Formats: sequence, structure tokens, C-alpha cells
Amino acid sequence: MSSVGPAPAGPTEGAAIAPPARRPHPAGPSSRRNRRGSRAERLAPFVLLAPAVLIIVALRLWPLLLGVNFSFTGDGDRNGMWVGLDNYLTLLDDPLFRTALGNVGLLVLLLPVAVAIPGLLATFVYLRVPGHRVYRGVYFFPAVLSPVIVGAIFNLLLAYDGPLNTVLGGVGLGPVDWLGDPDVAIFAVVGVHVWATFGMALVVFLAGFATLDPSLLDAAKVDGASLPQTIRHVIIPALSRTIQFVFVTTMIGMLTSMFGLLYVMTSGGPEGSTYLPEYYVWIQQGQMNQPALASAASTALFLIMLVVGLVQIGILRRAGKEE
Amino acid sequence: MSGTRLTKWVVAVPMAALALATIYPLVFTANVAMKTRREYILDRFSLSDSLHWENIVKAWTSVGMSRYFLNSVIVVACSVVLLLLLGSMAGFALARLRFRGSSTLFLGILAALFVPFQVIMVPLARIMADTGLVDTYPGLVLAYVAQFLPFTIFLMTSYYSTVPPEIVDAARIDGNTVYGVYWRIMLPMGAPALLSVGVLNALFCWNDVLISLLMMPSAENRTLMVGVTSLRGQYSDDIPTFASGVLIAAVPVLLVYLFLQRQIADGVTAGATKG
Repeated sequence: MSSVGPAPAGPTEGAAIAPPARRPHPAGPSSRRNRRGSRAERLAPFVLLAPAVLIIVALRLWPLLLGVNFSFTGDGDRNGMWVGLDNYLTLLDDPLFRTALGNVGLLVLLLPVAVAIPGLLATFVYLRVPGHRVYRGVYFFPAVLSPVIVGAIFNLLLAYDGPLNTVLGGVGLGPVDWLGDPDVAIFAVVGVHVWATFGMALVVFLAGFATLDPSLLDAAKVDGASLPQTIRHVIIPALSRTIQFVFVTTMIGMLTSMFGLLYVMTSGGPEGSTYLPEYYVWIQQGQMNQPALASAASTALFLIMLVVGLVQIGILRRAGKEE
Repeated sequence: MSGTRLTKWVVAVPMAALALATIYPLVFTANVAMKTRREYILDRFSLSDSLHWENIVKAWTSVGMSRYFLNSVIVVACSVVLLLLLGSMAGFALARLRFRGSSTLFLGILAALFVPFQVIMVPLARIMADTGLVDTYPGLVLAYVAQFLPFTIFLMTSYYSTVPPEIVDAARIDGNTVYGVYWRIMLPMGAPALLSVGVLNALFCWNDVLISLLMMPSAENRTLMVGVTSLRGQYSDDIPTFASGVLIAAVPVLLVYLFLQRQIADGVTAGATKG
């Protein structure tokens, strides 16, 4: 890996991208004559893979190592100097980063809700609730919209003098400062994220249901099982792999795809109450010009994701075995 | 029996309400975009009495959305073409060619799938700056390709694994080189998967804001999503123009969704059923 320098990698890749695809035409006739075993033929898999592997190594795996290494060096006056764990200690001292970690904890707590809602809805769609043909298409739509668009729309809806408060005022409630109250804003943003993404999990659940053996449900019906019983004893065990997948991807989504919402809706405020690690990384890199500190926050985020992911898989596996 | 039917109807009411709640925000925005500022201030909900397309025109011309739109189209088109080309080449090699180290390579690519952009963005920004690719189309395209290539390869590999090996063997016996098999047989055969992965990648790139913010600092190179975020500050007192900008950015996605919903869902669920 060390032979692939980061600096020259970029432009040479750009040049290497086109040729392999064009090669078949000039190479075709000659190698057609001397059939298999020719050098060009044996190299073919590597030629086909080279551009992709080069890009992935140079622009994804190499930066990962670079970033971890970077997180142990200093910013500003101490640029490039080895500072050990200083950046990590700075992070733990920074109230903004601590808020970000606290918000990650909140997301983990809300995770079962964010999985249960699409799970239940998918169950009802699968059981052919009236209108089931329409719901899938409607629910899935916000999931393909950019967080920026979703955030911008909810900026309008949730404004202090906006429509939602007008409606609440009409029934004698509120007004609530959805995006301006430090105790409320993070819930508003997470709520919007769940609104925007539950359709994604719903579609995944429905794909899981498509593999479900219908005779299981018929048997449950014959035995006179109620709906909650059917869900608990038939559907959950049969879909355990899908549920696992949704848990992990929903968690990854919460930790890595809320930037757009935060950027548009709150910019981390009010009073830093809606910071998440990814937003912290962006601020330190883009606004505060502290790339080494940002790298430490990146590495911390990566570790958090690994730990949360592995713990989740562990818990879900064990729960699956008890069934 | 009638009991479960009743339950289904009881459940259908909140589900229908949720469906409305899912659609309404966009309808609201479209309605606001058609109002004058005065109309919006007086009443947020009333249907616009006449369609004020001048908001859309203003957002498109004087606010610069047309430039951002063009930037996005160029970058997304180049990224998707490159992703499909490189992804199908790699997927074909991994799924249907025998060579040493193929499973190790596949695992390495799978590992890259789990490295989120936030974790590599600081070093990546530095690499792009060092190579002079910051603030250029090729730089942003390369960043998108690097970001979405592992996913593309993963899906193309699992798709090509379902192609019977006999097809490859027969094409070889007919005198095709490996490259000929890829270009004349595998690429056309991959069309359904390429469409699905291509649409999904187009959405990912079109919707992105973080990578674009990082790679395109100057105003004239903004992509459409970054353009929308910049509208917020500029037009906070002119909500109909702001809503028009949002609408311009959302409509292409809506159109793609209406025609290719199934392909998008297929791409999203492929990871779940094959992982």
C-alpha cells in the first residue's frame, strides 16, 4: 500500500480509466488466432480490475490510514509534529464534541423506534391493509430526496412563525420553537431524519417479506393466532436477517447521513445542541482549520461505528438464537 | 375473520394519514413557490390564486440556479458513466474470471464499503488539494467515483454471479478475447443491474452536499444542493423564491422516481437479500 503515493495517484487514475474498455477492438483479432494462454489473456482480470482498485486504494483505504496517522499530529504551530493522544484529550475536553457524543447516545436509544416503525408499517402493507398498493410508493419517496431538500422544506414548516405553529396555535397549543430551543431542536432534526428515511427501511423489510413462506402465516391463522402473536412468533424469527440488516444500516444512516439536515436546518445550533460527530469533523476541517483535530474526531467516529455495529450484531445474533 | 378485517381498516386510517403527511410537505412547498411574497405572509396554506411562475424564473436566472443545475448535471453524468464502466469491469472479473487473490480483493472492496466519507474527508481534501483537483469537475467526479465504487462493484459482482458460466465459456470458444466477452456479452447482459445501480448512483451524487461542499469551494462551481443551501441565507425574507429553488432541485428527482421506482428499490434491497 505504501507504494501508492497519495499525491500522483489522482491524475494518473484519470488517464488510466478509459483504455481498458477500448482495448478489445484492437486486441481482438490477434489474440483470436493464438487462442488461450497468451500473456494478454492471463493479465485480463488484473487489467479489468486495475482502475477500480487503484481508485479505491488511493482515495478510500489510503486516506483512512493517513487520517489515523494524522490524528496523532498537531495543528497550527505544531503542524506535522507527533503529539500522541493530545487531540483525543482535546476532544474529550470540548463541550461541543461531548454534546455530539451525547447525541450519538440519544440516536442509539431511538434506534429501536426507527426500526420498529417501518417494520410495523411493512407488516401491514404485507398483510394487505386497504390501500397497501399506494403506501409503498408514497412512503419511499422522501427517502430518495436529498437531506438538503428535506431540510429546506422543514425549515419552512418548522419556522417559529411557520405553518406547524400556526396549526398548533389554532388548537390552542404552542408555539414551540422547534429549531431554536436547545432542548427541542435535536428531537426535531432526528424526527425529520426518521420521516425522510423510514421508507428506505420499509422497502428493505418488504423485500424480506417477499422471501417469507406464506404457509407459515396461514398456519398461524388456522391456529387462531392474534396479530401481535403472529408478529412475535412467526414474522420476527423468519425475518431475523432482514431485521439485523435494517438495524445496522439505520444506525450507519443516523451517524453518517444527517450532515445535510444539520447543515441546512440548525448549523449545529442552537448553542451547539444539535452537533453530531460528522458535523464536528466538518466544522473543525472546513471552518476552524484544525485538520488534525478533525482527523481525531473522524477516527473516533469510525471507532464508535465499529463498536456500535459489532455490539448490535452480537445482541441480535443472541436474540436470534433464543428464538 | 371479520375481526382481522376490522383491524385492517383501523390500521389503514393512520397509515393513510401518514401517507398524506409524507406528501404534504412537498405539496406545501410547490404551493408556496407559486405565491407572491404578500400572499405567503398573509396566508401560508391557501392555494395560490394564480400560478406565479416568476418566482421559478427568478430562481432559475438571477439567483444562479441554472448554473448550479448545469454543474450538477455534468458531474453526475460523468460520475455515473465512470462508475458503471469501472464497476461492471471489476464485477465481471470478480464474478466470472478465475485468478489468484480474487476473493481477497473482493473482501478488500467490501471493507472499503464500510469506510464512511466523514472518516476519510480530511486526508482526502488534502490529497485533492495537493494534486490540484480541488474546485475542478474531475476532482469532484473522482471523489464521487471513489465514494460509490465499492457499492457499485458489490452489486455488479453479485449480479454477474447469477449469469451462467457456460455463457462465458461459449463466447470464449467462439473466439472472443476476455475483453470481447466483457464488451460484447457481459456489458449488454448487465443492462438491468446497470440501470438499477446507475439510477441509485445518480441519486446519491445528485443529492450529495458534504462531498461537494468540500471539493467545490468557489461559488460558480457549486452543485445544485449546495446552491439550495446558499439560497437559505440569501432569501430568508423571500420565501417563495427560496421555495422555487427547492422545487427546481426536487423535480428531477421526482421525475426519476415516478419512472424508475422499482429499479431504485431493487438497488436498495439488493444489499439486504444478498449480504
